Amino acid sequence: MAKRRVIGPTAWVLGGAGLFIGAVAAWLVSQGNPGNMGLCIACFLRDITGFFVGGVTNQGAVAYIRPEIIGIILGAMGAALLTREFRPRGGSQPLVRFVLGFIFMAGALIFLGCTVRAWLRLGGGDLTALWGVLGIVAGVLVGIVFLKKGFNLGRAKAVAKPLGWILPTFAVVLLVLVVVSTLGATPEFATQTKAGAFATGDKPPAVFLKHDGEPDQVLKPEGATLAEDGSIVAEDGTVVASAESVAKAAPQPGGKRALLWVSLAAGLAIGVVAQRSRFCSIGGIRDAILVRRYDLLFGVVGLLIGSTVVNLLFGQYNLGFTNQPIAHNDALGSFAAMTIATFAAMMLGGCPFRQVIMGAEGDADSTTAVAGMLVGAGFMHWASLASSGKGLAPNAWPAMAVMAVVLVAIALYGSRKSA
Amino acid sequence: MKELDVRGLSCPMPLMHTKKALEDDPAEIMVHADSGTAKANVVAFLQDAGYMVTVDESGEEYTIKGSR
Repeated sequence: MAKRRVIGPTAWVLGGAGLFIGAVAAWLVSQGNPGNMGLCIACFLRDITGFFVGGVTNQGAVAYIRPEIIGIILGAMGAALLTREFRPRGGSQPLVRFVLGFIFMAGALIFLGCTVRAWLRLGGGDLTALWGVLGIVAGVLVGIVFLKKGFNLGRAKAVAKPLGWILPTFAVVLLVLVVVSTLGATPEFATQTKAGAFATGDKPPAVFLKHDGEPDQVLKPEGATLAEDGSIVAEDGTVVASAESVAKAAPQPGGKRALLWVSLAAGLAIGVVAQRSRFCSIGGIRDAILVRRYDLLFGVVGLLIGSTVVNLLFGQYNLGFTNQPIAHNDALGSFAAMTIATFAAMMLGGCPFRQVIMGAEGDADSTTAVAGMLVGAGFMHWASLASSGKGLAPNAWPAMAVMAVVLVAIALYGSRKSA
Repeated sequence: MKELDVRGLSCPMPLMHTKKALEDDPAEIMVHADSGTAKANVVAFLQDAGYMVTVDESGEEYTIKGSR
């Protein structure tokens, strides 16, 4: 083959897209989103699951329809329609893709962030994210082994038009629900973390709101009140949270959010930019190693630079391994969880962000993968397998072992078919 | 002329197939694609390899032609 340039003009498009997305994500943190979580596809889909089934899955702290997701879907859909790239397609092993989406989410909730947030955590100075980024590289390498063996889930074909509209329709439904919930009319079945809520580390936690930095109104347990010594006391007089525990209470992630319209507008812009640029949080490393093409890698480099700069500008940058928001420093656990998540994403053909974008372009298979992620999130919280800031859940390692076996089985199955 | 069909394939297979096809340095290549992403990636890849590229869009399909 004649000489080929390995960095083309699209590198600048992708670099610019990454810069923009990283900068907006870091800015969203200044607007109220959780630390280093201006944008996280896994976390935000998980929060949406919490809204619907949080009462059952024990997701009281992480239940909110994240408007960023709605914006991303509608923005990407609009961009795809305008450029005639909206095409209802599907039929490439949807059930396998559902399982891959499920496992992706499981890995992300053990690491505490998707492949996008891993870079954003690093952009906030969170060095514990390095273990996750190493896991991304490892997951890409494992995926490449099978791609080289001919791994392929089969071709997607044109499908009945309505199937292409599932994810955009879901986004509209979510938009209606989040608007009515924000106006105070949360549907009865739904769970929504109160904006600005704090929770103590007790079991079960006491949840309260603050006013001017001081504990003010107790939300949970019901009927409990704030005692004069600063503790929270139940109706029957028992202390449910000591004054010390109240003082150490942390904000519930689901209650940390930018204004609805701010999140929505940011999501719309990100959706358009991501659809046009084809930004992917794992594809850059994959293409660099597999086909020696570096353009896509500029996307994550841009993301890292954009988020770092804006975090520094807003005084949100905190370099180190300790006191990082919604993160733990279990190096091996983070590495393994991200290897698993990325391996799953490699077999899906792109990171969860790309799955959402492609679902918005009419790809029913990607929509199925997103459905797997939503269900996986509910399962992980219901089964107490998701990590917390303290570290991995007790059964996280056995769960990862099972997921690794399933992934290898899928990889072998996909490689065998085309062999 | 080399002809390739990458319709319905997930990333990164369209690029893998295109890269493989370029190994024998064809003077002309035609690639059939059906997603915007595959089209964009294949077009960029062929241009990076020094091909003059044209894209025909008909119905649900893109026909990408490269020559040098």
